[in-house]
Amino acid sequence: MSRPLFVLLSLIWIAFTGEQVRAEGTPQEIISKAIAEEDAEIQASQIKSLLGKATPEVLQLLRQWKDGEIYLYTDAAGSKTVVIPEGEKDSEDKQIFHGLSDGRILNDAEGKPLKLGSSDVESADTSSSSRMAIKAVMDMAALLDTDLKRRLQAIQNIGLEQDPEKLPELKTALAIEKDSSAIRALNESMAFLEIKSDDPTVQLAACRKLGELQSIPSQDVLKGIIVEASAGGRPELAVAAQASLEQIAVHVRNVNTAGTIFRGISTGSVLLVVAIGLAITFGLMGVINMAHGEMLVVGAYTTYIVQNLFGEGLHLSPFGISMNIPGMNATGWLYNSYFIVALPVAFLVAALVGIGLERSIIRFLYKRPLESLLATWGVSLVLQQLFRLIFGASNVDVSSPVWLSGNWTVNDVQFGWNRLFVIGFAVIIILLTWAVLNKTSLGLLIRAVMQNRSMAACMGVRTDRVNMMTFGFGSGLAGLAGAFLSQIDNVGPGLGQKYIVDAFMTVVVGGVGKLTGTVVSAVGIGVADQSLQQILLSPVLGKILVLVAIILFLQWRPSGIFVTRSRSLES
Amino acid sequence: MKRRIFSSLLLASAAVFTAAGAKAEDTVKVGVLHSLSGTMAISETSLRDILLYTFDEINAAGGVMGKKIEPVVVDGASNWPLFAEKAKQLLEQDKVAVTFGCWTSVSRKSVLPVFEEKKGLLFYPVQYEGEEMSPNIFYTAEAVGQQATPAVDYFLANGKKKFYLLGSDYVYPQTTNLVLLEYLLSKGVPLANIGGGFKKDESGKIISAGKYTPFGHTDYQQIVAEIKQFTAGGKACVISTLNGDTNVPFFKEYAAAGLTAETCPVVSYSISEDEFRGLPAKQLVGQLGCWTYFQSIKSPANKKFIDGFQAWLKKSDVPGIVKEGRVTCSPMVLSYNGVYLWKMAVEKAKSFDPEKVMAALESGISFDGPGGKVTTQKNHHLTKNVFIGESKADGQFKILKEFKDVYGEPFLKGTFKAK
Repeated sequence: MSRPLFVLLSLIWIAFTGEQVRAEGTPQEIISKAIAEEDAEIQASQIKSLLGKATPEVLQLLRQWKDGEIYLYTDAAGSKTVVIPEGEKDSEDKQIFHGLSDGRILNDAEGKPLKLGSSDVESADTSSSSRMAIKAVMDMAALLDTDLKRRLQAIQNIGLEQDPEKLPELKTALAIEKDSSAIRALNESMAFLEIKSDDPTVQLAACRKLGELQSIPSQDVLKGIIVEASAGGRPELAVAAQASLEQIAVHVRNVNTAGTIFRGISTGSVLLVVAIGLAITFGLMGVINMAHGEMLVVGAYTTYIVQNLFGEGLHLSPFGISMNIPGMNATGWLYNSYFIVALPVAFLVAALVGIGLERSIIRFLYKRPLESLLATWGVSLVLQQLFRLIFGASNVDVSSPVWLSGNWTVNDVQFGWNRLFVIGFAVIIILLTWAVLNKTSLGLLIRAVMQNRSMAACMGVRTDRVNMMTFGFGSGLAGLAGAFLSQIDNVGPGLGQKYIVDAFMTVVVGGVGKLTGTVVSAVGIGVADQSLQQILLSPVLGKILVLVAIILFLQWRPSGIFVTRSRSLES
Repeated sequence: MKRRIFSSLLLASAAVFTAAGAKAEDTVKVGVLHSLSGTMAISETSLRDILLYTFDEINAAGGVMGKKIEPVVVDGASNWPLFAEKAKQLLEQDKVAVTFGCWTSVSRKSVLPVFEEKKGLLFYPVQYEGEEMSPNIFYTAEAVGQQATPAVDYFLANGKKKFYLLGSDYVYPQTTNLVLLEYLLSKGVPLANIGGGFKKDESGKIISAGKYTPFGHTDYQQIVAEIKQFTAGGKACVISTLNGDTNVPFFKEYAAAGLTAETCPVVSYSISEDEFRGLPAKQLVGQLGCWTYFQSIKSPANKKFIDGFQAWLKKSDVPGIVKEGRVTCSPMVLSYNGVYLWKMAVEKAKSFDPEKVMAALESGISFDGPGGKVTTQKNHHLTKNVFIGESKADGQFKILKEFKDVYGEPFLKGTFKAK
């Protein structure tokens, strides 16, 4: 239909019905008409006829329109068609287009697909009224979105905009909403809109409701209301807002306390995961293992390699030799499960590196702990350089699987998936380590050898082998920790250096040789660190105070929280 | 790496000696003073590469006043006192006509007295905090008014009401945030709407604004929880001067808390295309950057610059140079511009004498660089265009807004009056 004819027809129709245009036809046709429409009011009402009927395709079209990805094409005869580009641009920067309303590809006079450049078409523009109409359609669609997260976001956005005209939409949504968190959000957003009301009683009720809902976002609004009400001579409103603010403040305090405890436990769990391997190599075996940090890095890089094997493959050029490792090009859940595979692989790889290290260097140094410090430090420098040569000096990109990024919010306290994961991970690792040490015959041998090497050897224990296995086990645990660290930190050659001090600190404070001590000190340091950060509002100061506290503590109890008592002469 | 660089330096100096012996008359020595090892090497090596490219480009076109540029590359090794020593070496032993170098403010502060004493000339290319104007340094860098305040303007125009300031704990973020605090107050943003906390001295004067974390900080849970509450009321944004790889744990935690570019955008002053090479770009999609150049600028000058650099990289025989996945970014372009501005100033002054060259620079010289026209100012800074960009999954920026010909003013502190 040519545009003038269409305008004429719509005008006639408006004249007949005398009310809003209710455009008929498929959504594509409606949008196509709306784009071609020049009268802003008719255009807006055409868009609004899609209210509540918007499918994802419609939303996609509206979004494209807003972003200027839909075009108007004027042919030789001067008639305009609404078109969408299709496929890739060719070498001359031209591409084919299809009509929006009928989906047919534009043909030239000979019936061949017409290729157009950017100068042949003009981008369909939007005006402020059409953009508002589009937004209304999108907001309403979002309120009815099947995905709860998006729905909550939409409800919150409408609340924060505080446009009183949106109230009916929220009421409609509330009538059909079943999810309790969404109902709470709807009530909150409605109170946000009602507080803008001209009716003093509605305003007052909204004020009280926000307090009852303990709505954290409403604090700014309520503060504004107090200023307004005091200036406007409405003390009862100011008092109500103040009371609500106090209710919310109590809630915020509770949220912060609970959040801090959770964050402390999660920080503690990171420390624990990082330190547990060291608790074995240093705590049990007595090797001052400065290369522990690099075992973390081995685990982290293993995760990186596994990720790329699941994805697009990777290109490495160690020592100038260029090599391409093909990947599986997995997507979706398969790709997101790479991390599950990476964990055992990281354990194994780090354990093997650890065993290699033990065989080549550390086994000669069991009687000389100070020299083990120097030797392992040297190894750590060599390994760092090796990482640089293989993976480059820059950090590499390890993406978090979908199921590890996101959070679970209960009553405004956020529990990040990655943080919950590390807590669970720490618990499992501790149980595993405890089981290995106490419930297996290897564990029995390990404990025997660690208590007294020569006596165990006399009893026929192959101490050499046990040492090797123990060091491998500790290194493997470090590898696991590294795999986890890749989810919250940078993966680069220097990753290990950041954690080595924390790891030693945790083990020493806990008491060398005691796993329970490591657990208690890790969680204790974590909670203390986060609480001090919360109280002092400064991460630097918090860390310093924790370190000072640890120094003082070690003055008081040099052997840590749990002291290993032994009858052997050397200790 | 170190050994490689050492041997490359050896080679380079050997090359320099032979070249100098052969035709000392036809060359002019130019210093390149960047960290090629240590923590800053990741960023600064790119500047060395672009400088060597620019010298080759100029030499191929006939050099400067008929003389070929002969680079003297020294390694500051991310060691600030060493920067001063190397600067002294460049000026005393090599007698370079000009030096291009430094990245961190502390390295610049360390070489400043050397350049002033020996009457040298230094071109400094990286965004910085201002409050400085040495007679011997020319700052092609973005001043606070060419990066920090335009981004705030953009947020204000987009209806943002609350600003959270976050940065790494050193001179650039601290100073920049103090200037920003004054700027925000002058724009009518109340103190209560500026997040991150304040430190006051005994008289009640604010001496530090915003939240600071040390280099290498990894645990951003508490800070992100604070931002989450701060932004709960909507219309909020974060202004980040976090440096380097601490951005990764920050943005990972940020995404995990459900904060996005739509709900609360972050503008990062220290993330350019080059830093993106080491960051998970996908998690930063939609966050903002503000620079005087983006690689995505569509102009013939920029295309020529990028193509030229990539072609040069392919056949470059600089030992250890990274050839794959290279990008261009603002500090690189400002280095490139600096070399050309120096060349034009030398040709205008008809002399390599630093004092005369500086006088020529002060008189106002324009150069059409990859980011558009830049013009030197009397105060040793540049008038240039400023761009706001939104990061994309491929590590590039989509340009959202351009501010034309922004004047470079280093002394902004105290110039904004609170409303």
